[in-house]
Amino acid sequence: MIRGTVVGQVWATRKARGLEGRKLLVVAARDAEGRPTGRLVVAVDVLDAGVGEDVTVAFGSGARNVLRPGPENRDLLCDAAVAAIVEGAG
Amino acid sequence: MILGRVVGQVWATRRDARLGRAKLLVVRPTGIYEPAFDEIASGEIASGEIASGETAFGARHLVATDDLDAGIGDQVVVCLGAPARASAGGNDVPVDAAVMAVVDRAEIDLHALGAAGAGPGIRRKLTEAFG
Repeated sequence: MIRGTVVGQVWATRKARGLEGRKLLVVAARDAEGRPTGRLVVAVDVLDAGVGEDVTVAFGSGARNVLRPGPENRDLLCDAAVAAIVEGAG
Repeated sequence: MILGRVVGQVWATRRDARLGRAKLLVVRPTGIYEPAFDEIASGEIASGEIASGETAFGARHLVATDDLDAGIGDQVVVCLGAPARASAGGNDVPVDAAVMAVVDRAEIDLHALGAAGAGPGIRRKLTEAFG
């Protein structure tokens, strides 16, 4: 996973199967020290994160597990999802 | 996933049989993502799982399969890696990018971006990309 800050949202009526109705956020990635990397990732969000909030984003099969856990989720066209909304970090 | 804009289409009759009749679009990653695109192409990104093919190195564009009937000029969200392959028919399909959404509207909060530490250059570029 990576850390990032929600900086925007994408609305799309036409989405891949299994992603209908899912919220898509634009997340500005941060590096290990918390500095922005200058890179944006679009992530599915089921936790209802808002603009300005810090989140962790899971990639790969971890992202699909957010939508539907288990080995039968390989058909989901998703490679990034919000896994947690961060309240504090040390 | 990444944001991008459809800038073209590729037609190919002679193709890997596993590709089937998949429509192939040329997508340019939007704004801020573009400078880092070499890193996507070479796999030097946060997760190796979302790495695109090495052949795209330096190309600053992606060729993505499209089942959602996106057209030239449309803003799209592109999914990379294994899920793109799965959506195109299976793990043995020579695909690493697929259109997962056709964007109606995209909004970036420049204040949030600034608070996240993005400099004025990045914010200006994004304003152009999303304006």
